[in-house]
Amino acid sequence: MSERGLVIAGLRAGVKNGADGPKEGTEILKGIDLRVEPGSVHALMGPNGSGKSTLAFSVAGHPSYEVSAGSVTLDGEDLLGLAPDKRAKAGLFLSFQYPAAIPGVSVANFIRTARQSVRPDDLPPAKFRAMIFEKLDALDMDAAFLSRYVNDGFSGGEKKRLEMLQLAMLAPKYAILDETDSGLDVDALRAVGDSLRALRESDAGKDAGYLIITHYPRILQHITADHVHVMLDGRIVKSGGPELANEIERDGYDKIREQVAASVG
Amino acid sequence: MSAKPVTILRGLNRAALDAYLGHYGPGSIDAPARYDALARFEELPARMSLRGGRGWKHDLSKLDFSDVPAFAAEAVEISLESLSVEARHKGVTIDHFSHARDRHRVAFERAFGKAVDTRDDKFASLALAFANQGVFIDVPAGVTLNEPLLIGYEAREEALFPYTLVSLGDAASATVIERIAAADGAPLICGIVELVVGDNATLAYAVDQRASESTRLILTRRARLGKDAKLAIACAELGGMHAVSRFRAVEAAAGGRVETVAFFFSDGSQHVDIETETIHAAPNTQSETIVRSAGTGHGQGRYFGNIKILADAHGADASLRDDALLLSAGAHIDSVPALEIAANDVKAFHGATVGAISEDELFYAESRGIARADAERMIALGFFEPAISRFPTDALRAELRSALGLKLRSRPV
Repeated sequence: MSERGLVIAGLRAGVKNGADGPKEGTEILKGIDLRVEPGSVHALMGPNGSGKSTLAFSVAGHPSYEVSAGSVTLDGEDLLGLAPDKRAKAGLFLSFQYPAAIPGVSVANFIRTARQSVRPDDLPPAKFRAMIFEKLDALDMDAAFLSRYVNDGFSGGEKKRLEMLQLAMLAPKYAILDETDSGLDVDALRAVGDSLRALRESDAGKDAGYLIITHYPRILQHITADHVHVMLDGRIVKSGGPELANEIERDGYDKIREQVAASVG
Repeated sequence: MSAKPVTILRGLNRAALDAYLGHYGPGSIDAPARYDALARFEELPARMSLRGGRGWKHDLSKLDFSDVPAFAAEAVEISLESLSVEARHKGVTIDHFSHARDRHRVAFERAFGKAVDTRDDKFASLALAFANQGVFIDVPAGVTLNEPLLIGYEAREEALFPYTLVSLGDAASATVIERIAAADGAPLICGIVELVVGDNATLAYAVDQRASESTRLILTRRARLGKDAKLAIACAELGGMHAVSRFRAVEAAAGGRVETVAFFFSDGSQHVDIETETIHAAPNTQSETIVRSAGTGHGQGRYFGNIKILADAHGADASLRDDALLLSAGAHIDSVPALEIAANDVKAFHGATVGAISEDELFYAESRGIARADAERMIALGFFEPAISRFPTDALRAELRSALGLKLRSRPV
């Protein structure tokens, strides 16, 4: 059965306990159901520690996280059995909250290697160059950026712009953006938002699905979410339309926490 | 060069030296100086830092040279034709070391022995006693060479004892690239590099060592800088069964600057020893040392780095940065950076790390679709880049990257 979308069903996961130690009490995701359709934008909101990054890492296959139950499929293809690079080749992209620095590897080399890995032989070098310069420009980034080492000595804003540059260059089917707005000043946030919107409106990106993880609604002023989900303590406790983000902006997470407590009690 | 000796003697001893001198004559180093050097080699202990222990495979104090074929007959390819039109036009001398004293006496005497003192050094003494090949380069005062000068040493079946003497007159500027190769079965390369850099002169000296896995290399490299002189030395030690590379620069006059860069990647069962030492002997001298090393398989390596700031060297500014990358559980790298400071009012920094490739870096690359093995290679190559980027010429940098890439690809996963 082939089901379109990034489909997360009954996902339970936690941090690996080093060696083969007990898993009790380490569960962070307590059964997540979420479906990101092609062409849609979902926002996943929640306070720090609610499990949002664990969800992102578990879906992308970070070796420190362990899935104990549930499934993740990408257009019907099981992701959980795949190595992280195979998940990317299947069409998944994760924009990191804290991207790693890779000293000695230039941005240009890294992105070219990545592009060739996920889309072998589809872009001649001259077109690759033209494309990356165009995307750089859209992100208000200088060409000198390309010869710097990946995230090495980058400011917070530069790191997030590099994530957006990679997103634009790799044009995945589904992208998870983990706290892409955190640590950004107003200009950087606008550049990131513009880049996202441009990607959404481009041929390469219009059919992609986006899961935007954030604890502030402010990035949603730059890109409109079709669906908003609220995550508390490893569960999605509320889902709704864009108005839910405004509600959180106005009332914070405590109100939702109270509602959840009331409905359970 | 001369024809092959009739017989090849084994062993690095007096009989071998007698036969060598009988056949070739003393060349640029007097016979008495050679015999003295041989006596020192036989008497002096190997320096502490080159001894074995703690699981090291090689112990230089216990080497047995009795079976080493002592002569290198036609064992060297000196690219004297590389003396470009530019260099010839500007009066630069490049000649075989053995003829240098006769043919270029004044220039030779001005430089020879000015940076190297073999009196307390076992292996520099050995290199001096048997010095049988080599190159003499003299760049006259005020001459700037834009093209690099290339020297190539290639050892075949016999031991090779190259002496490279480079002298830059005041305000001269040059780049020298030395390539060391050795055929399978080449037993030993034991040599001296002596760099004498005049006032205000600028020398870039690069070594690309890719000997075979059968070869033991012991290279002693020494430099002496004049006032406001600049030296950038960069050594890539990629080959050899056991490669010992020792470099010392003395900043003898005010205002000099030494940049020392070295890297090695020991794989299989290679062992690499690198020592660097910069001696700040005069005021306002600067130095920067960058060392990158990696080990895989059962490769071993040691790095000893020393910065010595003498009492007169006020205003000295020194930094030493050394990082090691372990790519297998069987690899072992030791790193010993040190600072000795006898002056006030100086800036000195050293830092060292030893570690594996971080999982975070790997996962980041993998999450972009790059397979784990490719990601490891990319990150490991990147690790060397801060050293490679300091080597002269695009062509040499590209060659070093591809040599490292080959080593990385051939390593067992």
